[in-house]
Amino acid sequence: MMDLTSKYLGLNLKNPIVIGSCSLTSNVSEIKKLEKHGAGAVVLKSIFEEEILMDAENQLQEAKENSFIYDKYSETLDYIDIHVKEANLNAYIQLIKGAKKEVLIPVIASINCVSSAEWTSFAKRIEEAGADALELNISLNPTDMEIRDFETTIKEIIQKVLKTVNIPVAVKINNSFTHMARTILDLSETGIAGLVLFNRAYTPDIDINTMEAVQGRSFSSPENFVESMRWIALLSDQVNCSMAASSGIHTSEAIIKQILAGADVVQLVSVLYEKGAEQINILLNELEKWMTEKGFSSLKQFKGKASSKNVGNPAVFERIQFMKHYAGIN
Amino acid sequence: MENIAEYLKQERGQEWREELRKSMKPKERLSKDRVQMIEEDSFLRAQSHIEVNRGITVQMAVEEAKRCLDCPDPTCIQGCPVSINIPKFIKYVEKQDFALAARTLKETNALPAVCGRVCPQEKQCEASCFYTIKLKKIPVAIGHLERFVADWERNSGKMYIPEVAPSNGIKVAIIGSGPSGLAAAGDLVKLGYSVSVFEALHEPGGVLKYGIPEFRLPNEIVDVEIENLKKMGVEFITNFIVGKTATIEDLKAEGYQAFFAGSGAGLPNFMNIPGENANGIMSSNEYLTRVNLMNAAHDDYDTPVLFGKKVAVIGGGNTAMDSVRTAKRLGAERAMIIYRRTLEEMPARVEEVKHAQQEGIEFLNLNSPIEYFADKNGRVNRMRLQKMELGEPDDSGRRRPVPIEGSEYDLEADLVVVSVGVSPNPLIPASLPGLKMSRWGTIIVDDKEMQSSIPELFAGGDIVRGGATVILAMGDGRNAAAGIHRYLQNKNKK
Repeated sequence: MMDLTSKYLGLNLKNPIVIGSCSLTSNVSEIKKLEKHGAGAVVLKSIFEEEILMDAENQLQEAKENSFIYDKYSETLDYIDIHVKEANLNAYIQLIKGAKKEVLIPVIASINCVSSAEWTSFAKRIEEAGADALELNISLNPTDMEIRDFETTIKEIIQKVLKTVNIPVAVKINNSFTHMARTILDLSETGIAGLVLFNRAYTPDIDINTMEAVQGRSFSSPENFVESMRWIALLSDQVNCSMAASSGIHTSEAIIKQILAGADVVQLVSVLYEKGAEQINILLNELEKWMTEKGFSSLKQFKGKASSKNVGNPAVFERIQFMKHYAGIN
Repeated sequence: MENIAEYLKQERGQEWREELRKSMKPKERLSKDRVQMIEEDSFLRAQSHIEVNRGITVQMAVEEAKRCLDCPDPTCIQGCPVSINIPKFIKYVEKQDFALAARTLKETNALPAVCGRVCPQEKQCEASCFYTIKLKKIPVAIGHLERFVADWERNSGKMYIPEVAPSNGIKVAIIGSGPSGLAAAGDLVKLGYSVSVFEALHEPGGVLKYGIPEFRLPNEIVDVEIENLKKMGVEFITNFIVGKTATIEDLKAEGYQAFFAGSGAGLPNFMNIPGENANGIMSSNEYLTRVNLMNAAHDDYDTPVLFGKKVAVIGGGNTAMDSVRTAKRLGAERAMIIYRRTLEEMPARVEEVKHAQQEGIEFLNLNSPIEYFADKNGRVNRMRLQKMELGEPDDSGRRRPVPIEGSEYDLEADLVVVSVGVSPNPLIPASLPGLKMSRWGTIIVDDKEMQSSIPELFAGGDIVRGGATVILAMGDGRNAAAGIHRYLQNKNKK
């Protein structure tokens, strides 16, 4: 019997495939299906700060257009943003409770936040609802000219949430920091239980026929997995927390590479949209087949085997590779 | 509308009105100062439940009535949700024929003594007064005069009971005895219907009784109005929850042909912040109902209520003002309003805010609670507040409160009353699966007839609006009564 178990955020997973936060994890019946097809854990669809703010704005607009609803003396209208937030959060709490009741695999809640203002109390209620862990997807907008120090803002959000909850907290970051290695190491020292590399940024495109801006490809491409693999290989030996690889993991080969680099788990999303939940089992079978061929009986035996510390030439993950390849410098 | 304009013109053209207009030059009328409501001393009243506003004298009323110019285009009427013929009743006051002034009020308003006390006239009729909109001067004190006339009539012992048409034998059920239900009942009984009002609580009056404190609207005033409706033939059935005690289907089987749902917005909202479940934190609905309707503050009644020395009321509406002023009267040393915007954005009536300030209520504006803490017995003893600043206006035009990072501080509080709005009572909708509801849980009705997606069910007040004023609810009740009348006439014609 092959041992695919992995420890992630202090949780025991039956295998390293975690379903990333997406619409597939937004309802209990889909989550049950993902578990049935072999998922080791699920990250629920994120509750979006901006989405809630927009909803509050829309409801205000609607209320204004309805001659009956909420007149100007209404206390309810005065607090409509809070009530909208509450309704959204309640729906999320129900999702957590429903998922926890119906599946045995760990259920990780996800908050997509742009500030630390009210999310700490949300985190508390998410914990109370029974989530096994919390993933913070901190989406600071790189085009926001007001923010001068992204790293400090992220750390402030983390500190506030950690003060509020006792469940493990993971942080999902994007791949554009001035000093990625330093940032990853610093974040791993904040007390979080895990880092998820990386979230997928919105991809714009331009239609050359209409000459208008359009949304680019929504799904990741198989080659994207290298971005996270590089940093996981370089830093998995040095960080003080779990590491999850995300974005571009479409094949068992990518899963194996990420684990070899030192990832504790991988997060899948795009491949499930393209090939269905059945793909989880296929990938797990391929992983087992590879392990058999290589003579491994557990993940632990090869996890981090190709991390920078364990490879003879760690420079392959660094810039020197570029120098060798393109500039002929040895 | 043309007919109404014509009717108003005819009324205005009556000889007595013309004579009265001629009796004083407009310049003289304009030169008079607005009457000031007589108020109970703020120190004394804060220690009792006596009514704050004491009314105005006959002389004051007549002098104030003289300020009214009896305009050819009475814009004030457009500002009144029940379209009271305002110049006519005011001119009767000037003429000192108070009985006819009362009768004029009752042509369209079943509860003038109530409206004279709790309507936000400064935002309705008085905001539409010629003085306000054209002259940019202080408007005629329409609200004070309405109250004066209603009180005069009640105290005269000769209350006018509107005439009632002969019974047509058709049964109509009114669900809820708040302002919309009472207004609908009054109009329907006048038309000859057999009207039964079903009230869930043990006394009729709805929010007028349980929601508005004695010092602002004495229960006795509401009781007199209810008595009048009884004299007109309206039947009141208390301790009866439609949707639980009996369903609408059950009532149909008993012969009721049409229904008016005016069951209000009795479901309080909370902020759902950590610690909000501690003892000593309750909704304003609960707090006010215990005190106003169940006499919890009196030793000889069994209903308990928590007394606080440091009372924090969350919110800035009229209910918040009622709660904090009640707490003061129940012995609070510190009675505080915690509001996340400024006085300027507060939804409460200007007069209520002024009275609260006079009574020593503290206003902690630009503050919002983020957490509550309890003692070892589970009773709240402290709250964490976050300071706010005002950001850009939202779609409603109110400036959005934005938390100031790092501004959190703790405040001692042993009683917290949460007054951040209410949601419609879900009982009736829950018992009627086909009923169309809005995303806010309100019943969807058409604008004029107040008819719901279930043809025999009409609705109005907070269950349609989600939280409004007494007078808007009454306007709905009246419109619904007209709608029910048309519906039943058509139905019984077929």
